[in-house]
Amino acid sequence: MASPKTVPKDAQVMMQILKDMGITEYEPRVINQMLEFTYRYVTTIIEDAKIYSTHAKKSNVDADDIRLAIQCRVDQSFTSPPPRDFLLDIARQKNQTPLPLIKPYTGPRLPPDRYCLTAPNYRLKSLQKKVSSSAGRITVPRLSVGAVSSRPSTPTLGTPSVQTVGTKVGTPVSLTGQRFTVQIPSSQATSVKSATPTTPTVQNVLINPSLIGSKNILITTNMVSQNSSSDSTSLKRKHEDEDDYDAL
Amino acid sequence: MAAVQDGPMELDAEKEAKPEILSDGTSNLSGNTASGTLSSSPLTAAPAGGAPKMEDQQTLIAVLQFLKRNKLSESVEILRREAGLGEHQEGSQATDGSGGGKGDGDGGDANSLLSRVSITSAAAPQSMPVKKDQPDVSVVLSAYSQQGDPPLYQVYYSGLKNFIESVLDCHRAELSQLFYPLFVHMYLELVYNNHETEAKAFFDKFSGDQECYYQDDLHILCGLTKKEHLKGNEVLLDFRTSRFVLHISRDSYQLLKRHLQERHNNQIWNIIQEHLYIDIFDGMPRSKSQIDSMSGSLAGEAKREVNKAKVFYGLLKEPEIEVPLDDEDDEAENEEGKPKKKKTKKDSLGSKSKKQDPNAPQQNRIPLPELKDSDKLDKIMYMKESTKRIRLGPENLPSICFYTFLNAFQGLTAVDFTDDSSLLAGGFADSTVRVWSVTPKKLRKVKSAGELNVIEKESDDVLERIMDEKTASESKILHGHSGPVYGVSFSPDRNYLLSSSEDGTVRLWSLQTFTCLVGYKGHNYPVWDTHFSPFGYYFVSGGHDRVARLWATDHYQPLRIFAGHLADVTCTRFHPNSNYVATGSTDRTVRLWDVLNANCVRILTGHKGPIHSLAFSPNGKFLASGSTDGRVLLWDIGHGLMIGELKGHTDTIYALKFSRDGEILASGSMDNTVRLWDSMKAFDEVETDDFTATTGHIHLPDNSQELLLGMYHSKSTPVTHLHFTRRNLLLAAGAYNSQ
Repeated sequence: MASPKTVPKDAQVMMQILKDMGITEYEPRVINQMLEFTYRYVTTIIEDAKIYSTHAKKSNVDADDIRLAIQCRVDQSFTSPPPRDFLLDIARQKNQTPLPLIKPYTGPRLPPDRYCLTAPNYRLKSLQKKVSSSAGRITVPRLSVGAVSSRPSTPTLGTPSVQTVGTKVGTPVSLTGQRFTVQIPSSQATSVKSATPTTPTVQNVLINPSLIGSKNILITTNMVSQNSSSDSTSLKRKHEDEDDYDAL
Repeated sequence: MAAVQDGPMELDAEKEAKPEILSDGTSNLSGNTASGTLSSSPLTAAPAGGAPKMEDQQTLIAVLQFLKRNKLSESVEILRREAGLGEHQEGSQATDGSGGGKGDGDGGDANSLLSRVSITSAAAPQSMPVKKDQPDVSVVLSAYSQQGDPPLYQVYYSGLKNFIESVLDCHRAELSQLFYPLFVHMYLELVYNNHETEAKAFFDKFSGDQECYYQDDLHILCGLTKKEHLKGNEVLLDFRTSRFVLHISRDSYQLLKRHLQERHNNQIWNIIQEHLYIDIFDGMPRSKSQIDSMSGSLAGEAKREVNKAKVFYGLLKEPEIEVPLDDEDDEAENEEGKPKKKKTKKDSLGSKSKKQDPNAPQQNRIPLPELKDSDKLDKIMYMKESTKRIRLGPENLPSICFYTFLNAFQGLTAVDFTDDSSLLAGGFADSTVRVWSVTPKKLRKVKSAGELNVIEKESDDVLERIMDEKTASESKILHGHSGPVYGVSFSPDRNYLLSSSEDGTVRLWSLQTFTCLVGYKGHNYPVWDTHFSPFGYYFVSGGHDRVARLWATDHYQPLRIFAGHLADVTCTRFHPNSNYVATGSTDRTVRLWDVLNANCVRILTGHKGPIHSLAFSPNGKFLASGSTDGRVLLWDIGHGLMIGELKGHTDTIYALKFSRDGEILASGSMDNTVRLWDSMKAFDEVETDDFTATTGHIHLPDNSQELLLGMYHSKSTPVTHLHFTRRNLLLAAGAYNSQ
């Protein structure tokens, strides 16, 4: 620890506070943290107090302004847990309901989807530029949205085939949904499929936005990519993986 | 508990009834300070009409006397008419009945407390000592104010001190229990009423006399010198409103009562009545060591009737599972016929008797998830492993395998192992959770949906095919929390991992995709610990908001709230039969809660510091707890008694685990050691007779040295977690601390 002579007065005060509270062992950075906190807190309070005093058309900031500033800040930042009688009260209410029965054989037991974190948390923007129709290798769907860009989703998400696997293992289908954009009803998928042999993607892009929306554009490009050679898909897979890591 | 719970309800009823009476009363009193005081005081009015209870009767009489004393005759008439009181009833005074006034004082939040205090101190000057003939008026009206001059507090306290030092030895130890709660309450009253200098003087004079195990509390009190400081401190507010419980023998109590009632200033007596609960027992007064072993908590000891509820501590019956004979081990040397082998395997773990264990809960007492096929396979593995289990004992100590986390820089805050010891999870201060595979098998996650689509679904090894080999690694990092992760817990089926963090949420992670599934929000304050139920589906979490919550994975809100602790809940554990939850707290008590209705069935006091580790014995009968004071205490759950004290560690004990058959208790602490204790012997030596069963006073033998089987030092790695594998190998985990 730095010798008291070279330590500034504020830090000495902090050291004394720690000593008074009975704390004998602490890392040296604790003093710095305390100083930083003190500075930030005091300046916040004084700034607030200045605002209050100008509002009250006073020439100087006085103790009442400071008191008011402290009171307002206490409710915002230094909240304390609820008082005991309140806790006992809500506990009494909550504990009266009997424990719910457990439905058998429902797969993974998770709350309703909107309380889970398994839904996709991004939406893809519509494709702006033309996609080149070369070699079926579609790198262009730079559907530039935030962190996660091209993540071709196979519309197989909603299909039952995946689900059977899921039940065997016990993983919910919705888990995998985290990586994918959208579920489209299989009817749509099939219609898309039928529309596209290996034609350039541009046509599909033009057709579909009217149908479902921007999300589907990605799907359609996907469909084309799936029809292309497996090499490109595997290459594309790799590319996505890199994107994955970038996104993380 | 009941006292505090009923408090708020009473308070509300009285508050509502108040305005009626007062509106009549005040119309006749104009410009009278007393009336102003009365009308604004939120508490001390009598309920209107009806049949007032005994305490309310007393309050009414007290108010009448007050009005009379201030010569407010018209209001007296009106009040008497309204309340239906006759002339004769004013004469009745009961010194002990004034407890009713105190009942109103309990409960209520900080604001009402403060307003009450400021008003009653403005009430009629009470500087003179209370006269014997009118004790109830002032007592009722001054729920929290002092009744004497601040300088007189020192006189009162030293008077009591002198008295206690002059009594017989056998009573002195018991009456010395009074010092600490009286000291704290008197100090807090002085602070509340803004007598800062007197409070400081009082503190300086008498704080040195207190027991050594209260020193931490005294440090905190030392820093509280103003009323505002108390406002945000929920722990101390709870301390003020809850009653500190003392066990005193009848003889000692009579002595004390006689002494205090002889004197004219009943102030200490009033404090005792308001803030203390004296549980009187008939019998020999306790010795100092007995008292010391049981005291130390923030709320005194536990009332005897609290620990009398029946606890079903037995284990649930194991389901019968057929062990397939075709994959028997080749190493088995047993040459007996196959049917015999099969029978022994089935019965080795299940209960031998077909009858229901009277101490075990019903199978359907709480709803439990049914066994899936994968669970049945797990059980079969478990049974196989348990046949290879090493029998531990004083002659046969386990080997210890220590997993040291390097480069954690004091950031490792939580560790957990799966039951079959295949996975290890660490929670860190940088808000990440990392999962490692302890076996050579790497961690794999499920493939993405695109890839899943192309695999052959009907093949036999589909469960291996869905796993992504390309990203297999020894460890995986889980991001999601926004604060240090203080608790981690694996689910018994190894599919899920829970983590609780300082950001107030508990997160459920899938161990198949290594992503976060759910965030359970409820505590809005750091969650210090979480634990999955031994059967899965339920989990419990405890945090800074002083409650523990029971959740189910498929409900986004808690199912049960276990409220009652006075300070943060630092450790939560399920009982092996999943019907009870044990919580350890910073208020130095361990509480056992019933999952069915969230009743607190046991309060166990005796620790002198916050409790950081809990462990149930495998047979469900005993509980071990470790705290910052370096002691491990052993409790008999059925009786609610302390049956053992293991001294030896010099620093906080963060890890406690019983071996698989309960013969050895391993404890790991911040002093870089793992100690092994002979729990079999400790539990055998319990002697319970009628006296101990009724009063809970037990004399503990000081046999820690005999029970210590081994002590193992690590170089400079505090032990954060302990785990016995299914074959009774002890695994320990901790982060290397280079300082």
